[in-house]
Amino acid sequence: MTAQRLPTDWKSDAMRKRIARRYGAERRFKLAGLAAVALSAAFLAFLLFTMMGNGLRGFTRTEIALTVDFPASPLLLDPNAITDEALANANLPMVTGEVAKKALGGDADALLSPTAWISIRDAIKADPKILSRTETIRVPASTAIDLAAKSKGSPEAEAEVARLKQQGVLSTGINWNFLTASDGTDPTQVGIWGAFKGSLLTMLVTLLLSFPVGVATALYLEEYAPKAWWTDIIEVSINNLAAVPSIIFGLLGLSIFLNFLHLPRSAALIGGMTLALMTMPVIVIAGRNAIKAVPPSIRDAALGIGASPVQVVFQHVLPLALPGILTGTIIGMARALGETAPLLMIGMRAFIATPPGGITDPATVLPVQIFLWSDEVSKGFVEKTSAAIIVLLVFLLAMNGLAIYLRNKFETRW
Amino acid sequence: MTQEQTDLTIANPKMSARDVKVFYGPKQAIKGVSIDVDMDHVTAFIGPSGCGKSTFLRTLNRMNDTVASARVEGEITLDGENIYAPTMDVVQLRARVGMVFQKPNPFPKSIYENIAYGPRIHGLAAGKADMDVIVEKSLRRAGLWDEVKDRLNDSGTALSGGQQQRLCIGRAIAVEPEVILMDEPCSALDPIATAKIEELIHELRGRYGIVIVTHNMQQAARVSQRTAFFHLGELVEYGVTSDIFTNPRQERTKDYITGRYG
Repeated sequence: MTAQRLPTDWKSDAMRKRIARRYGAERRFKLAGLAAVALSAAFLAFLLFTMMGNGLRGFTRTEIALTVDFPASPLLLDPNAITDEALANANLPMVTGEVAKKALGGDADALLSPTAWISIRDAIKADPKILSRTETIRVPASTAIDLAAKSKGSPEAEAEVARLKQQGVLSTGINWNFLTASDGTDPTQVGIWGAFKGSLLTMLVTLLLSFPVGVATALYLEEYAPKAWWTDIIEVSINNLAAVPSIIFGLLGLSIFLNFLHLPRSAALIGGMTLALMTMPVIVIAGRNAIKAVPPSIRDAALGIGASPVQVVFQHVLPLALPGILTGTIIGMARALGETAPLLMIGMRAFIATPPGGITDPATVLPVQIFLWSDEVSKGFVEKTSAAIIVLLVFLLAMNGLAIYLRNKFETRW
Repeated sequence: MTQEQTDLTIANPKMSARDVKVFYGPKQAIKGVSIDVDMDHVTAFIGPSGCGKSTFLRTLNRMNDTVASARVEGEITLDGENIYAPTMDVVQLRARVGMVFQKPNPFPKSIYENIAYGPRIHGLAAGKADMDVIVEKSLRRAGLWDEVKDRLNDSGTALSGGQQQRLCIGRAIAVEPEVILMDEPCSALDPIATAKIEELIHELRGRYGIVIVTHNMQQAARVSQRTAFFHLGELVEYGVTSDIFTNPRQERTKDYITGRYG
């Protein structure tokens, strides 16, 4: 005996409950998603806020207006024969100290940055005529004064700042030096340019090595390689390489590039080569996926009118896969830009006070510079570290922006 | 049954297949097909899905080479020359034996570029002016010129489905092939676009040898003069189109065209 099935009652209580449950589930899911987004946004805002709060101060410096009576100073310089050599022999640091003692009183050495004489030198160089008159020149203050003027310093420094403020010689200027100088021993003299250039050169080497090799590998594996046991092994190896901790690549670079090939230590070349090892698998994986996504009908079309396999690959498949490949490349490069550990292994953590002239010169990179400064004892380095982080983030944003621009430019609309 | 296929044997066929067998791995897809294709007639391949008609079509310009597991036995000649001989250049073969696919597949480039690509890679045009001539001639022959002459720089993918398929035919024509293979060229098109393609096939007949694979028996009857009926990898019957449809010799052909299976 079979029970008669009644027609479904779409208005029954059970039905209503089911519908209410379904809507409830959707609402809860939406809320959970929203909460996740809000949480990450809050973290990001917090990060940016603290970073900007600390870091933006790193781009400014406290300056002291120093009135220099050149004729009365112990400076012996002929205004008509100002050369770099003459300036170098004039013992400007000592003269600056004496002038400061007279003008500001107190312990002048503690007030001025060790680089204050450079401002005076530059002023003389710009206009030698000032040597015959009294001139007011803005020179950077010492770290202690800088800190006390910007936020909170030691009680002695605070007192000095109050005194200088009364004299009306304190002011705040943009620290161009931070953008043009390299690493140094005193926080008032350090700059980011050396590390920035090091990063630029390293990224260049990484890109030039990993992009062609990665794209060629992806193309070969997708378009030419036969399906065989050895291509499977290559595929598994590449996928595993992409997940290897970066410090292992550093050890690899150390043992092969430095100890075996004896390439120059601490150089952007080695850093770039090591990071290229790390970036290449990412490009290969992204590249293969992008190539796989090219519709087979396009290959058929090109083959069908007599394009050779190489023409099919380079004139049809590669252009269509390029946006995807570029996205993968940028992700890999962004990771390489932020990488510190492998570069420590190959000696890019050295103290380097001059920007590298080429890829074989000793260099450091932004993240390593941040790591080095964060280790410094002097309090003035705190804001410099944050400022360097801002520079790194801006670099990253610029790179990502470029990637998005390129991707949109090459993207094919169907 | 007396099979009088003597009237179909041509003295110098453009393309000729003799005892062609195609294997996908261990599976045999084509079981010894012999057929001649000539320039004066449109040849239609009909048969139910999976009967091997598309597979056989793709052996005629070696598009099956792209399938790693595919293996072809027997002999296929183009002007008496074996196309599977090592001396045959497959790139040149595909320029001489062009192909139009089931789904319109224009390149995601301009209309002009779609046509110009083939002549360019084969070095058929002497300069820009010559290329313009080739593009116009090809588009005219494909019956598309009047519709697109003012927007040659628009993307080929922005055209309607029927226009895209005619663009693909124009692209195949542009390299001056001797034979054009069409693999169900109308299956993705609406009836009006289909009518236009069929009209085009009529106009192209004689200038090019045309082989068309179709699911649609009325289409085969309309556009072709020779029809081959495939079933389970065999060539069951090959004859003059009107004979095949009005007076099939084989029981299986009769069953298929009367809609008994397929």
